[in-house]
Amino acid sequence: MKAMILKEFRELRRDRRTMAMLILLPIVLLTIFGYAANFTVDSIPTRVIGPDAEQVAAHAPALFDIGQVSPDATTEDAMTWMRDNDTEVVIDTTTQPPTAYVDGASLFTAQAADAALGRLGDQVRIEILYNPDLDTSWVMVPALIGLILTFIGTIITSIGLVKERQSGTLEQLAVMPLRPADVIIGKIAPYFILAAFDMLVVTLLGVWIFGVPFNGSPWLFALGAGIFLFVVLGLGVLISTASQTQAQAIQLAIMLLLPQILLSGFIFPLSAMPAAIAAIGRCLPLTYFVQLAQGIFLRGAGLDALWVPFVVLAGMALLVFTAAVLRFRRDLAPSAHRRAAGRKAEATR
Amino acid sequence: MAEPLIRAASVTRRFGSFTAVDGVSLTVESGEIVGLLGANGAGKTTLIRMILGLLAPSEGDLALFGGEPSRESRARLGYVPQGLGLWDDLTVAENLAFVDEAFGSRVTEVPEALRGSRDSLVGGIGLGRQRQLAFVAAFGHAPELLVLDEPTSGVDPLSRARLWDTIHDSADAGVGVLVTTHYMQEAEQCDRLVLMSQGVAVAEGQLADIVGGTTALAVRTGRWQDAFAALDAAGVLVMLAGTHVRAVDADEARVRAALGGLEADLEAVPATLEEAMVARERASA
Repeated sequence: MKAMILKEFRELRRDRRTMAMLILLPIVLLTIFGYAANFTVDSIPTRVIGPDAEQVAAHAPALFDIGQVSPDATTEDAMTWMRDNDTEVVIDTTTQPPTAYVDGASLFTAQAADAALGRLGDQVRIEILYNPDLDTSWVMVPALIGLILTFIGTIITSIGLVKERQSGTLEQLAVMPLRPADVIIGKIAPYFILAAFDMLVVTLLGVWIFGVPFNGSPWLFALGAGIFLFVVLGLGVLISTASQTQAQAIQLAIMLLLPQILLSGFIFPLSAMPAAIAAIGRCLPLTYFVQLAQGIFLRGAGLDALWVPFVVLAGMALLVFTAAVLRFRRDLAPSAHRRAAGRKAEATR
Repeated sequence: MAEPLIRAASVTRRFGSFTAVDGVSLTVESGEIVGLLGANGAGKTTLIRMILGLLAPSEGDLALFGGEPSRESRARLGYVPQGLGLWDDLTVAENLAFVDEAFGSRVTEVPEALRGSRDSLVGGIGLGRQRQLAFVAAFGHAPELLVLDEPTSGVDPLSRARLWDTIHDSADAGVGVLVTTHYMQEAEQCDRLVLMSQGVAVAEGQLADIVGGTTALAVRTGRWQDAFAALDAAGVLVMLAGTHVRAVDADEARVRAALGGLEADLEAVPATLEEAMVARERASA
């Protein structure tokens, strides 16, 4: 038995990735998620409008971070801000008593605002927009679609690609008179189609079973999901080019998946995280998909309100997918790579 | 004169500080079967991967059909890798259909011998049948050059003979063949051999040229274990065939001296390919 234990430790010591997962990952997870795992919202972006805006803003509870006081703005302006996700709460003093519009799509923020405003009694009327019953599934389902796409895109795709490498058939493909583009597109297209089908099924189930409203444009959502798919499929291809075995691919995919689950604002609100941790969250594609999906599903937001997540995701898609295709191409056509390198060397001579 | 199908001139490939192939030159002409011999790790597969364009040479020139390996030139060759390169989760017929489509060739019929497994998953059929299928797939598009990396390992003698018949038929039809092998019988079937050891081409020619320079003495004695130990201790290259001890590249006087008082009959016999390879390897080390 002693020999067996020793052998196992020797093997583990040389398997750097597993060691990293065993030692580094728990430390990173604990520090990052220890800070991130916070449901308590202590600051809510708020705007106040109407004739008594100044006065109400001065007496609002500390939880409400009054960013803008606009006595001349109308209820219509307030609705536009809310739909565009410019603020979480608008206190409208054009009504008597004043009405507080709260964004129900930001679940924890809305719950905190609802509780704080409730303590004021009759002084304020609360109207929760987009998710009046503060239903968790309404917020979760749009985000879950992103998580499912991430899962298929990174784990399933990378496993499929590494299988080809591990069984030696990738080499066979490289020897066949197929263009690298044929191989890459042919290899990725089925996963794209399957993921798109899954997205459709989850969306329909979410709407039918959980009654999640779909207030925005289905085409806009399809466009956003398509762009997001390119990002996650690109990540899957990148993982496959850095892995020799399916087990390695799964390890790497998990390392990419975990932070997306915990730091994308889909479970814990980004606004409740310390700035440094939230900044990590803002580098992750799922964060933007969650904003986009919740915006289209619940708030019925259009491209004018959602251009930021769209642009960020498109940039990520371009970057990640290009890198993935180049790396995959290098594995497939080393001669072409060498010729290109040779030409470059000659040109600089 | 027509350009050879494969022309490698002083090709070297390094992986970091390790040189896997060191200045190897080789040609394969139409209708010629060239055997690439060598122990595991001799650099045969690395050389093949360079010829196919899967690896770039660190130094030297390499031409496939007179040019750099490319998509167009690869369309003209058939390749059976050591791992066979078949898709385990596809059936025999589906594998052939995919390869045909990739090469844009006519549909290859599933051959008689594989017809019973037509709709079986490749992962579920025996290695012998898998090899047959890999051959059929590689021949489907009428290639001008065949590159076969240990195509018959793990195959029973009868199937091996059949596969070699196919190779000869192709060569007779003008196809050039580059084949790696460990087997003496297979090396005998090649028109020309290149023996590699530790990345270097140590000998080239016909089987007789490679084996011819090596002598062997069969040492027949009831105490073969003692004979083996004595010869080995004296630094003689000694091999075992069953309970027959064979001293390679050593003259009778040296063997007698090493055996001491041990009684044995000595007979000069032709060296085997394996013995020649080991002797060459030892000489080059």
